[in-house]
Amino acid sequence: MNTNTKLQTDMEKIDMATDIAVIGGGYIGLKAASRISESGYNVILAPQHNDTDLNFSILDVPLTEMDRIKALETEVANNTNVEILPMSTLVEAKGVPGDFTLKFVSADTVLEKKAGAVVVATDTAVNPLNHIYGLNPAPNVVSLSEFENLLASEETKKEIQNNEKTVAFLVGFAHEGSPLLMKRVLNSVSELVGMDGCSAYVYVNNIKVADDGLERLYKQCRDNGTIYFKLQKAPTIIQENENLSVTFHDPVIRNDIELNPDIIVYEESLIADKTNLSLAETLRIDPGPMGFLQKENVHRLPVNSNREGIFVVGSARDVQGLSKSWIDVDNMVLRVKQLIGDGTKSISTKAVVDREKCTICLTCYRCCPHGAISWDDKAIISSLACQGCGICASECPMEAIQLIDFTDAEMTERIKEAAAVEAPNAPKIVAFCCQNSAYEAGMAAKAFNYELPAGLQLIKVPCAGKVDIHYILDALVEGADGVLVLACHHGNCKSESGNTYAQWRINDAYRKLAQIGIEKDCLEFATLASNMANDFARIVIDMEKRIGQKKD
Amino acid sequence: MIVAERKPFDEIKELIHGYKKVLVVGCGTCVAVCLTGGEKEVSVLSAELKLSNKTESAPATFGEATVQRQCDFEFLDEIKDIVGEYDALLSMACGAGIQFLAERYPEIPVFPAVNTTFIGVNKDVGWYEERCKACGTCVLGMTGGICPVTMCAKSLFNGPCGGTNHESCEINSDQPCAWHMIYTRLAKQGRLDNIIKICPANDWRNQKPQTLVQPGYEERKASAE
Repeated sequence: MNTNTKLQTDMEKIDMATDIAVIGGGYIGLKAASRISESGYNVILAPQHNDTDLNFSILDVPLTEMDRIKALETEVANNTNVEILPMSTLVEAKGVPGDFTLKFVSADTVLEKKAGAVVVATDTAVNPLNHIYGLNPAPNVVSLSEFENLLASEETKKEIQNNEKTVAFLVGFAHEGSPLLMKRVLNSVSELVGMDGCSAYVYVNNIKVADDGLERLYKQCRDNGTIYFKLQKAPTIIQENENLSVTFHDPVIRNDIELNPDIIVYEESLIADKTNLSLAETLRIDPGPMGFLQKENVHRLPVNSNREGIFVVGSARDVQGLSKSWIDVDNMVLRVKQLIGDGTKSISTKAVVDREKCTICLTCYRCCPHGAISWDDKAIISSLACQGCGICASECPMEAIQLIDFTDAEMTERIKEAAAVEAPNAPKIVAFCCQNSAYEAGMAAKAFNYELPAGLQLIKVPCAGKVDIHYILDALVEGADGVLVLACHHGNCKSESGNTYAQWRINDAYRKLAQIGIEKDCLEFATLASNMANDFARIVIDMEKRIGQKKD
Repeated sequence: MIVAERKPFDEIKELIHGYKKVLVVGCGTCVAVCLTGGEKEVSVLSAELKLSNKTESAPATFGEATVQRQCDFEFLDEIKDIVGEYDALLSMACGAGIQFLAERYPEIPVFPAVNTTFIGVNKDVGWYEERCKACGTCVLGMTGGICPVTMCAKSLFNGPCGGTNHESCEINSDQPCAWHMIYTRLAKQGRLDNIIKICPANDWRNQKPQTLVQPGYEERKASAE
């Protein structure tokens, strides 16, 4: 805990809890628990619902893997370094990396656990889509999972074989689908056409084969007699007890093609675990699309959430099968080791709170995209969790937060210097540039000798979120004719929302300038990537032209 | 906390028109928390004033200071060595702070840079809602923790009135009826008998300048006098 009142640049030594909490007790959670304990950490495994009784067939787990998973289950159950909590709900998560306090509620008992890091390893759930085809589930109209179960049991499998069943699969008309689902369909098709007398029709929209070996599997099934009908829209299906009819119009032979399969297998979608959203809220991590737990941001490398020390693996973060989920587990173990190590760490402080100035308004706590801020009687920034973006510092109403490398005093000095540089007959432009994108683009533009305004001065900021509204006004006060705030593209901000905060502040500055009676031409916000030197040059030249004309 | 909002820039400019040295004084408590008058807003306002003055032939100059609370003399004393250099003070505190600043430095004109709006709660960063009118007679115990003085357009102690309209108030369909909210809350808690009880009218004669001396400190006050 950093309780210093004055700026300091010392390394901070942190003692961390070395127990790792794994949330989710399915095959991904089990694997995570097993691999973390192999690395010498104790594990707290918290199943969220009855996932120890998983229906493995819903995943792309080959039957040959089932023994391995059962063995994994036994291994984890007998592992003395893994504490398996009863089925429970995570209701509270406080603290920072290395020192999380988690509260689980199980039946009527409350369990409080300390953990250095948290791994979210929830499963995917299956959503049958028969209603979209107007089908009612019946013994001869089954979901993909149910059909997989039929094939998995020797008895029902034999029945299908003995009756030489013809099976129609419906894929990709009810939703876009994914290679994972395609793989499951093709695995079933492959097994089916391998049985004498059985045949398969696959009515499919887009065939998703972008995964290892899928294209081959698709062709192999075709070579073995599977008939694919690639259609733009779903065929017309009539379900009358035993009698099934599937019809589509063939545009080449200009005829309706009707077939009468014995069994129809309708598709399913894989959806995020229903506990994901409440977990996200409790853990203060950003939910992503479709209820999965990772935002679409290029900086969220596998398994990272927006909070340090909270990792999202496997189908907790995206639709993923067994092999990819287990690769996630390996990546997560590397990140846990990197973060927790042997439980002590020296880390340099990136931001400090002036405890005399802090009025504990909670603005920083609410704005920090990394969940790095907590409080006792004043705000506290976790050195481990802080990414040094400076959003908090620029939002603090008391200027009580300073980034070690970008203090307000240094920034003010830098702004003064930049605005004081005179270029003959050229407007003075101060460009605040995010070091992750625009600053690199600006440096590249210089290196490539692009034409740049003579009066251009760059000011490097750790993130556009560090550009305080009064930096913008100060630059104009100090004599700049134009101010640019150059941020990362949407979805590309390392701190998730630094670019958004910057944009909001620019809009606020526009309102203020309008009240003062200054035209908005002198201020511009734009987004760039680090390789966009050309666009950087265009943006700054455009501004020079615009305000240069005004000056004349 | 007390919530305030910045006055329009033109009004502030008009108030301090003609003064050549102005000290912008922030307050580090309520108005800092509601992002209106803390140290940052002081910097922002003085930057705006400087920008707006740039074009003038003899621009005014602006100083900045933020004290912990403008409603305490001890904190106001902290700027006593610098106020003499200024010919006007521009306070960003609530109405109480502004008046106390004016009382502490009676020889210097003090101007408000904010409008004090209400006693309210913090819903999110930069988002506040009124919850209390400081009426002096709290009835929240009877009303399920929902203030009819603040939330009812008529400040009725015994409601609702005939204007209650499908959960809304007659003044505006976006304005919930306070007494409908009170009814719902009390029903949920099984305390509907509260709503039958007649709540005696507030003594609105209390709406005059008031002084509170905590009982344990009456002697202290007497001895000081």
